[in-house]
Parts: sequence; C-alpha cells; structure tokens
Amino acid sequence: MEVLVENVTQVWPGRKGESIIALDNVSHRFASRRFSCLLGPSGCGKSTLVQIIGGLEPATVGRVRVLDPAQPHVPRATGFDSVMVWQNLNLFPWRSVLDNVAFGLEMQGLPKKQRYDRAKALIGSVGLAGFEAHLPGQLSGGMRQRVALARALIMERPIMLMDEPFAALDAQTKIVMQEELLRVFDQTQKTIIFVTHAIEEAILLGDQIVVMTARPGRIKEVLTVDLPRPRSLEMVNSKAFGALFDRAFHLIREEVMTSMAQQTVPLGAS
Amino acid sequence: MSKRSNLSTLSERAAPTIVIIAVLLAWELLVRWRGIAPIYLPPPSSIVVYLFRMLRDGSLEFNLGVTLLRIFAGFSIAAIAGVTLGVLMGMSRLVARIVDPWIAALYPLPKIALIPLLVIWLGTGELYKIAISAVTAFFPIVISTYAGIRQTDRGLVKAARDLGANRQQIQLKVVIPAAVPSIFAGLHLGMGVTVILVVAAEMIGSSSQSGMGFLLIQSGQVMETEKAFASLVVLAIVGALIIKLQQWIDRKVAPWTAHRDGH
Repeated sequence: MEVLVENVTQVWPGRKGESIIALDNVSHRFASRRFSCLLGPSGCGKSTLVQIIGGLEPATVGRVRVLDPAQPHVPRATGFDSVMVWQNLNLFPWRSVLDNVAFGLEMQGLPKKQRYDRAKALIGSVGLAGFEAHLPGQLSGGMRQRVALARALIMERPIMLMDEPFAALDAQTKIVMQEELLRVFDQTQKTIIFVTHAIEEAILLGDQIVVMTARPGRIKEVLTVDLPRPRSLEMVNSKAFGALFDRAFHLIREEVMTSMAQQTVPLGAS
Repeated sequence: MSKRSNLSTLSERAAPTIVIIAVLLAWELLVRWRGIAPIYLPPPSSIVVYLFRMLRDGSLEFNLGVTLLRIFAGFSIAAIAGVTLGVLMGMSRLVARIVDPWIAALYPLPKIALIPLLVIWLGTGELYKIAISAVTAFFPIVISTYAGIRQTDRGLVKAARDLGANRQQIQLKVVIPAAVPSIFAGLHLGMGVTVILVVAAEMIGSSSQSGMGFLLIQSGQVMETEKAFASLVVLAIVGALIIKLQQWIDRKVAPWTAHRDGH
C-alpha cells in the first residue's frame, strides 16, 4: 500500500484566537512496503501528519489517499489500511496483555477462542509468552512497548504508523526494540511510516528520511538511506551511516534552532 | 544496619498499638483516681462490660442489624441511580445539559435540611430514613461518575477507534471501564454520607424505635453514658470495617488502579 499525501495543511486555533499553522501544504508519496521516517524538531507537525494519514484527524485542507499499487485505480478509504502505534502507547490499563492484544479482533466480533489463539501466538512472537494475564501497569516500559506492537500487528493492516514509539524507553531497551521492529519489517514487508526526532534511529530503520522544517511544518528534504537490509546495529559505525548522519544533522540543526526560538516565552507571559 | 532497621520497623509497627493501650490505661486510671462519675465519663472497663451486656441481651445485634440494613438499602438505591444517571450524563450531552442545573442547585444544599419535609411526606418510618440517606449519597456518586466518564483519556478513545471500535463499543469497552476508578471514588464518598445520615435519621423523629442512632439517643436521655460509649465504639468499628471492605472490593474489581502511577 502506498500513501499519497496531497497538499495537506493543518491549522489549529491558538490560545489568543490566532491560527497556528501546524502543517503547510505538505505533499509526499510514501512508497509501498518501504520504511519511511519522518524526522523533524518537536512541534513540527509530524505527529499531526501521521494522525491525518491514519484517518484519526481530519486535515484542514488537502487529502490523503491510500493506493494499492497492484490496483491503482481502486479508491480506498483512509483509516482502514493503517494501524497506529502511539507515543504514549495508549494501552488499556484495565485489560490484561492478552485482552489488549486481542482488542481489535474483539471489536470485529471474532469468537473468544479464535482471537485468543491469534493473540497468544503474537504475544509469543514478541517475546511476552507467560505474561498474557498481566496488566500493562505490571510490565516494564520495553514489555509494554511489545504489547503495543502486538496489538497493532494483530490487525494485519498493510500500513503501520508509528509516532515516536521508542522515545520514552531507556537507551538499551530502545536498541532491542529497534532490532525487534527491523525483524518485523523484514518479515511482514509492511509500509511503515515512523515519526522520530532521533537522527540515528531514522537512519538505522528507514529506507527514506523525510526531513521536516520547524513550524509551520513543511518537507525540507527527502534523504534516501541505501544501507543494505537486513539492517544491524553495527552499521552505525559504517562510513555511509556517518555521511548520512552529517547530512541529516545539518538539515535538522537549523530547524531545531528555529523551533527553540519559537518555544521561548517572553518574560511575564504565562 | 539491617538489624537496626528491622528493629525500627518493628517499633514503628508496635507504636500505634502501644499508644492506644496507653491512652485507654490513662483514661481508666484518671477516672478511678479522680473518682469521675460514670455519667460524665465511664472507664473503658465498664464500657466493655456494657458492650458484653448489650451483646447478651441481643439489643446490640438487633439495632446494629437494623442500621446496617438501612445503610445497605439507602446506599444501593443511591449507587444504582447515581451511577446510571452519571453514565447517561457522560454519554449524552442533552441529558447532561438538562440534569446539570438540578445538581448544581441541589448538591450544595445540606441534606439534613430535608428531614422536616421528608418526615411530613414519608412519616418517621423506614422510608424516610432510607430516602434521606439515598438522596444524600446520590450526589457524590452521580458527580464522580459523570466526571469519570467525561475525563476519559482521549488517547485511549482514539486508539480504540484506530483498532476498529465503533461508537457503541468505545462507550462500553473504553469510556465506562476507564471511569471505574472515579465511580468507585464516588461510591466511597456515598457510603460515608449514608452511614452519617442513617444514624442521624435514627436519632431524629421520636417514633423511631430501633437502630444505632436510636440506641445512642436513648442512652443519652436516660444518662446511660456507658451504653452511649459502647454504641460509639461499635459504630467506629463497623465504619472501619465498611471502608476496609470497600477497599478490598476495589482491589478485586479494579486492580489496575493500584498500578496507575506506574505509567
């Protein structure tokens, strides 16, 4: 499935009645079965963009189309081909790991036995076998992350949207989860759109890095990552990785400065 | 180091019990040495004696049982009505709009002020005692339930929608479960005021001939101070037990609330 973002502009009402332009005329084609990373400073509208792509927020102007490259003329409604992994996970705290993972199937009305069988298989595949009856609050950050991943994967949707899913993890857990995600990508060949503000993460995971500007969010440049797959953490030390990092860093540096200047509050204002 | 901390935790645990015993002992000695008349302040020992006397003649069990039944009846009515209306308000803006001014006007009213009216309408029988406690408990329950439903984490609702839940499924599977902790908080508050109002209602309206409130007012009138103290002790213990029971139910029904801070 490819995702076509066409002239998307998003405007929020500001606190003093002014309009805040979160996204300004963004157009991009996210290729089918590719791992694309949205890289940008905080507040640049990258989370908003994935929510618009997922059909969870309406765009003020413009539209998002999802196309099957095999049947490019069949229109598809947005939201049904994608599933989101959230920055703050949004696990249901009263549901066990098993019932969190099986949630989507339960909503489809699948009988208990069937949805539990599939959920158990997925829980096993993300390394959480034996924790089915635990509540999310009883798990570590990395384990909760795995639950969120399994809950999204069970939907078997061709597009996976990920909004800074590893931002809250400690450095080591983050590495393990990145490897896990690379494995999932290699096995399932989904179209993944991954929001991040970490340059290394974007290079390690992505085929393509969409660098965004500070607010109002626009696409500044699109970088192609031509590191071979399967990716591994050792590639971080390669020359190609270093070159890409420098490139992305210089692009993003300016935007981060702009974003920081936007976030300063004049003295006396609250 | 560990030995010392063990010792200090042991003394920390024993401290409340030691203080209670010391206070009771001081009370007993004070009353005996100063020769205070039991009408003013009976010694703890004679309160215990009275407690056993009341147990043996069955008056304690009977009056306590009656009071507990009234508490249970009033609380059940308030809980069912309060949670139902709170959920309806949370799910329908129209219902919330209609009900809001009524709650805003009636909630701050001290419910004890309704006693004269309720006695006129319902007499001083069972109905009036259950009604006054149910009306009082209803408000904190409905308000907490409504607040809980309204404060549902928007992120959870979005996530459920993304996972294919329709509107009705979102209400039943996300919004209502997410409100359970605050519904329970309302039930706790409701139970607290139910106990107060039932006992108060038993003390007012002289035709009432049963219940812990009646026992208290009656022992006051005939200056059986020991009996009044004994009734107070029983009420305190029963109150504490009710709170413990509610906490136990909370943990059984909503175990995730204990882990909430871990997110």
